[in-house]
Amino acid sequence: MIEISGVSKAYNRGAIKAVDGVNLIIKNGEIFGFLGPNGAGKTTLIKMITGILNADEGSIKINNKDIGKDPLEAKMQFGFVPDDPNIFTRLTGLEYLNFMADMYKVPSPIRLERMQTLLQRFEMSTAAGDLIQSYSHGMRQKIMVIGALLHNPPVWILDEPMTGLDPRSSFDLKEMMREHADAGNTVFFSTHVLDVAEKICDRLAIINKGRVILCGSMEEIHQHARENQSLENLFLEMTEND
Amino acid sequence: MIKFLALLKILLINTFGISALRSKASKNRLAYLKILGLGLAIVAGIAPTIGLYSKLLWEGYDLLAPIGQEGAIITLGMVLVSSMIFFFGIFYVINLFYLAGDAQSLLALPLRGWQVLGARFTVVLCYEYLTELPFLLPPIIVFGIKSSASPIYWIYSLFGFLLIPLLPLGLATIPTVILMRFANLGRRKDLFKILGGLIAIVLAVGLQFVFQKSGPNVMDPAFVQNLLTDPNGLMNLISRVFPSTQYLGLALVNADNATGFFNLLLFTGLSLLAVILAWEVGDKLYFKGLVGSSETNARRKKLTSSDYKRLVTGSPALLSYCIKELRLLIRTPIYFINCVLTNILIPVLLIIPFWLQSRNETGPMPWDGLLSNPEGSIIVVAAVVGIAVFLNATNAITATSLSREGKEFFISKYIPLSFQKQIQAKLISGYILGGLGTILLLIAANVLIPLNIAINGSILAVGLVAIIPTIETGLLIDIFHPKLDWDNEQKAVKQNLNVIWSMLASILIGGCIIYTVIRFFHTLAAAAAFMFGGFGLLAWVLYYWLMTRGVEYYQKLEG
Repeated sequence: MIEISGVSKAYNRGAIKAVDGVNLIIKNGEIFGFLGPNGAGKTTLIKMITGILNADEGSIKINNKDIGKDPLEAKMQFGFVPDDPNIFTRLTGLEYLNFMADMYKVPSPIRLERMQTLLQRFEMSTAAGDLIQSYSHGMRQKIMVIGALLHNPPVWILDEPMTGLDPRSSFDLKEMMREHADAGNTVFFSTHVLDVAEKICDRLAIINKGRVILCGSMEEIHQHARENQSLENLFLEMTEND
Repeated sequence: MIKFLALLKILLINTFGISALRSKASKNRLAYLKILGLGLAIVAGIAPTIGLYSKLLWEGYDLLAPIGQEGAIITLGMVLVSSMIFFFGIFYVINLFYLAGDAQSLLALPLRGWQVLGARFTVVLCYEYLTELPFLLPPIIVFGIKSSASPIYWIYSLFGFLLIPLLPLGLATIPTVILMRFANLGRRKDLFKILGGLIAIVLAVGLQFVFQKSGPNVMDPAFVQNLLTDPNGLMNLISRVFPSTQYLGLALVNADNATGFFNLLLFTGLSLLAVILAWEVGDKLYFKGLVGSSETNARRKKLTSSDYKRLVTGSPALLSYCIKELRLLIRTPIYFINCVLTNILIPVLLIIPFWLQSRNETGPMPWDGLLSNPEGSIIVVAAVVGIAVFLNATNAITATSLSREGKEFFISKYIPLSFQKQIQAKLISGYILGGLGTILLLIAANVLIPLNIAINGSILAVGLVAIIPTIETGLLIDIFHPKLDWDNEQKAVKQNLNVIWSMLASILIGGCIIYTVIRFFHTLAAAAAFMFGGFGLLAWVLYYWLMTRGVEYYQKLEG
């Protein structure tokens, strides 16, 4: 479960509010989509949830562990896939996965089995021994996903995870997200594409200019959109990005 | 030519961050003041050294003028500058021409090899002018004032100042461009780039040595007599290190007559010839060395169960983080050449010419007899320790430790490894390479002068402790002010002021301890104990600071 209470973040000495008083609860057993046009504040909020940015106000708890007060315990609760997969490109895939497994203290026999399973599922077995530098964008995205799932975290936090994935891997990831949520865990992911959210989310929130303007099931969101002109326009913007 | 000028303008704006500064200044007027303050702080930092250098030149002039050898002080500055530009030019050319992230971005444009190489060459030239200022300006001014030089001298000096980097930079460019063309043939291109750089540096030092050896034997009495009776004897001797400088030296010393003008013409011709040759070689080979150089070899081999068992092994998080740091340092050519290689190669290269000379000369060497008294032993220990501290201050491993992460810094923020441990891992990786450099330095020192066990033991014990405060200072500075916003790796290590600050701080601290030892201690044991204690105490204080304030700052940093 992720509990976000009154979280704000401003830049330029308060002149630009990137995230403004966000309250959200993402329950166990659900896939929660976080939608908004480019620059709405999605990545800033995700960075605060994961401890990359410090919130100016408010608190964030992941499975009851406060990211501000108990950061190491809170970080052990989630696996995170960043929006930019171009990292550690001078390590091989296996070296990167080993590094992540060490960070999350995954015992050797377990990591070996999980690595093999995940690499096979994402069709990365033949590339694992090569430098990440030699991977395509999609392959880099896949190795990031595998690295985030190695310690079998109860909470998945994924920033634009489908970007760059081929249809097959995208389908696999969506299935894995479903399986993970159905097993009583939490999946929180951001996207700027409405169609992606519509198909897999149990609930979603729409953020614009740093504020959550709507939160609920897809049906509830559609209902509101029909009644509210500005929301409909926002919807259109996100559909155009499709 | 229009394309060349347009490209040069863009590269200058981008390299020196002019647009970024303008944009900052439009939001905050203090940005210009900040830059000015920074510049003044750097000038203030190096002012004492420049002051001392100028004083030595001033006194040197008085000493040499009665025997008609005063021109030597100008040649000394020129030789210093030319050698530095030649040596560092190779690093600049490898970094900026081949390894920088944007090196390949220009390949898609309809430009010729000489246009791109020429524009980059000119950017490096601008850097070199900055390097040249503190070394060449003092001798020019001292000579000008002391000799009551005419306006022609000052005009010639200005010409000379602008011309002097052209030849060494051209000479640095030609072998590098040729080597890099062949480095681009193999499958393991990163490795070849590193090897290419290595060979270019060895070649540079080899050439320097050949220049030095090309003249007569300095121990020959007839030569010494000639040296002192010829009005420019000493000047010619010094210019042997970089022969072309003697023409500019003669031009300045004889500014008021035809000899001066003739020598200036000769020097100008030589300098321009070097540039034309470098650009011509660049036109033929530069693109061939660059196209496809970023390709990475991939085997795409299916791993077997035994491969997995061998490659997938668990390690403690601290060790794993440390190994990751070392792997990235060694595998990223820019980091390897600027951080690792300088640390390991410079001790060896510094010693080689002296060693070769000591094998060839029959007369006594400057250090002979040094070890026969305790003060001499102290000087040797202090000197080697001092070089070790200096090397660690310049290798920039910890001073750019956070900066090198750049946009990847966010990973350090979300992984469940405490900031204390991350700092410790960065210190350890810096110490492993620094320690290796120190041991190599000790070996090199022994090749030069066979040292006894007491001296070797003292150097090893003190050296391995003395480098710790330097490593810690670098990391502390980088945590307080990391340069995370860069678009190519070169900016993280070469255009990072943290390296300068850490260098100044380490030289100051190390210099104080070493000076105290040489000045006040008379037995090796006491001197070694003092240095060990002094550096050890400093290491402990800085470690405490890193684990408290450093961790606080690390925590506040945002990725």
